[in-house]
Amino acid sequence: MERLIVLLPLIPLLSVLINQIWSKQLGRQVASVSVRGGVLSFFIALVLLVALLTNSQPGPVSLGNTWGILLADPLSVLMSAVIAGISMIVRIYSVRYMIEDQGYGRFFVLLDLIVASLYLMVCAGDLITLLVAWHLIGVLLYFLLGHDTRSSSAFRYAFWTLITYRIGDIAMVLAAGFLFHAYGTWSLTEIFQHLSTESIPHVYFGVALPELVGIFLAIAAFARSAQFFLHNWLPYTMGGPTPVSALMHAGIVNAGGFLINRFAPVFVHTGGVLHWLFIVGLVTAVTGSVLMLIQNDIKKSLGYSTMGQMGFMIMECGVGAFSLAIYHLIAHGMFKGTMFLGAGNIINEARKHDGVPKEDLYTFVVERRPVRHRQPWLLMAAITLLIPLIILILAHWLVSQDLFQKQGAIVLLFFGWITGAQLIFASFRMRAHNLWKLVMLMVISFAIIIVGYTLISHAFDLFLYPDPAFRQQIYAAADIDVFWFDFLVILVSFITVLGWLARYYADKNKNGVSEHLNSLWISFYALISREFYLNDIYAWFGKLILNAATRLNVLLGWR
Amino acid sequence: MLILAGLFLPLFPLSMVFNTVFSRIEKPYQRIVLLMLWPQIGLLLVHLSDVSIPSWVVTWGILTAFFYAFRLLTIRELGLWASFLATSAWALLWVTILHDGESPFYLYALGFSVPLSLLVFLNKELTDRFGAAYVGLYQGLAQTQPRISGILVMVLLAVIATPIFPSFFTMLHTIITATPDSFVTVVLACFVWLLWSWAACRVMAGLIVGPATAFDVPDLTIATTWKYSGVIVSLIILSLILIGGMP
Repeated sequence: MERLIVLLPLIPLLSVLINQIWSKQLGRQVASVSVRGGVLSFFIALVLLVALLTNSQPGPVSLGNTWGILLADPLSVLMSAVIAGISMIVRIYSVRYMIEDQGYGRFFVLLDLIVASLYLMVCAGDLITLLVAWHLIGVLLYFLLGHDTRSSSAFRYAFWTLITYRIGDIAMVLAAGFLFHAYGTWSLTEIFQHLSTESIPHVYFGVALPELVGIFLAIAAFARSAQFFLHNWLPYTMGGPTPVSALMHAGIVNAGGFLINRFAPVFVHTGGVLHWLFIVGLVTAVTGSVLMLIQNDIKKSLGYSTMGQMGFMIMECGVGAFSLAIYHLIAHGMFKGTMFLGAGNIINEARKHDGVPKEDLYTFVVERRPVRHRQPWLLMAAITLLIPLIILILAHWLVSQDLFQKQGAIVLLFFGWITGAQLIFASFRMRAHNLWKLVMLMVISFAIIIVGYTLISHAFDLFLYPDPAFRQQIYAAADIDVFWFDFLVILVSFITVLGWLARYYADKNKNGVSEHLNSLWISFYALISREFYLNDIYAWFGKLILNAATRLNVLLGWR
Repeated sequence: MLILAGLFLPLFPLSMVFNTVFSRIEKPYQRIVLLMLWPQIGLLLVHLSDVSIPSWVVTWGILTAFFYAFRLLTIRELGLWASFLATSAWALLWVTILHDGESPFYLYALGFSVPLSLLVFLNKELTDRFGAAYVGLYQGLAQTQPRISGILVMVLLAVIATPIFPSFFTMLHTIITATPDSFVTVVLACFVWLLWSWAACRVMAGLIVGPATAFDVPDLTIATTWKYSGVIVSLIILSLILIGGMP
């Protein structure tokens, strides 16, 4: 059964061959070849997934001597099914969306090539196959984003993507170099076996091998998943065709989370790297969300929203919730894919009528009209703080009794609690006569989301990491010293509550906001509206390099 | 003997000799012979010298590779571009020679020379059509000359070590064999790779992308396109058979 996995990258490659060789004869029928291949791949991926769920024990499939190994393990099969599903929808959508495009055939060839590379990446059972696929995805994405060859700006931003991805490629090559040097094999299964059995790890430059490799893998994941400092390409790559944006946001940028999961046996030995993952993910999640909120362009806003989501996904990995990150990337992929593919329709619809109901929620959120009469603040504070906490604890307690022994779970609970509390806190300022209905709706939605999220993520945990000891090991690796953990939880709770109080105070005393605070706020707004000046800094640095190269060439007479 | 080898596996400033010779000759076949033979002579000299390679030569080699990759960024004439990339790529071979004496260096050098030879042919094709093969002089080739653009993209990808071209396996082998003994060398080699990608993107953006320039010149014929494609596909197949196996 596992041999079917070979067909996944082969089918799109076959479609590429047919479409390339007979492009003239096929004309617009190239799309039909590609779509049929997509449907067949999806069916095969589903068969593999069902087989795996019904207790089959798949082994690796080898196509070459030293590389070309494909794995049909839970992670590969699950990710293949996701890629197959999303790419099939994107292909079907593109049939009509791209119909007037001059490069119709080229588009489907590139699309099939990138899908084949994605299958290779998620199924790779050795380092070389992984490197080949990882590198190819960046190159192919460059051409897909720059599909409109008349648009210099599309190619400019496609270049931003490529160069960021190349930074990640380099980190991947370095990680592969150290792993190969240490164990003398390219096979991931063998490398992971060595890692789990060796009592004293290899040490390079005074750093244990897993930590060193973990750092390089983290950089590769950061570049691919647009983490802070390596994120600038993501919101600007909207010049590409919409189906490419959908595929990129729904599938390709998620590769960072996949990579960390693939190398979970490395990361269980790397506490320090996991903490960095958490910090970088947190900064990215917050920055991405802040930048998203100030955009007035729907596609750019979606770009920053993806950045925030990717930050959250990396943050989940940082607290040891590896399988939760996989669930997150799948859920986000489907959600964001739908948003991109539906963006055109929404814009078109909005041109006719805005479609926003003139209800309390609209009045509150859009028109920013707070209420005159409010409920007792003590009652509201209790609801705001206690209800999300109760829902979260009950949901998690349902699936895991030893919940409070995992710091990662507490961090995520904490995050969920703040989010839930923030949501209900917002309702405090709404019109009085409908308040209880709104609060109830929010609480019910919140409860459904949390319970669903908790149960599904628990199921993912059991599917991807069936060994309970390994699951425990991942959470243990992400743990920090208990004193510092408690201290940080108290500190963040204090800051959050202080923020709420400050907001409440500012609301009550509208004229009490000092000039100094106001100018600080404007400076902050300027900073985020210029996207922290990072694009300017990178552009300046790029120019500096090019000027230096020109001067050197002139000096040396172009020899 | 090693110094002489440094002329053929170019080490700066000896590398200027190759670049001067390359720019002086204009006939594509002569340039191709030069591209094919130059590094092979260097490898032969290293083989004949029978002395162990001192580590400073490797440092010199990697710095030369980096230096030319860096300068490559602003080269706009396609012939000179090929010559600089060849210098950068061949200088890297010193790293593999030091760290893995058993490697098929001759094939590695060929893996760079063959796509660079195709680039020389393309340079001629563009010069015949437009008077010069110069980045930024005319744009939008993808719309007016789709075949020549497609082949140019494939050739550029082959020379900048994109999977699964032979140069990719050469770069991978160079980096893997030197890790972790010469970490700085490895990091520099990685940056060389990054700079090649950047330089190739600048060539593509300056020639292929953008609004089409109104020149009424013919594209490559279908037969010629098939010939180029045949060489590229053969290169990939041979790369997988001969050097794609890795250690």
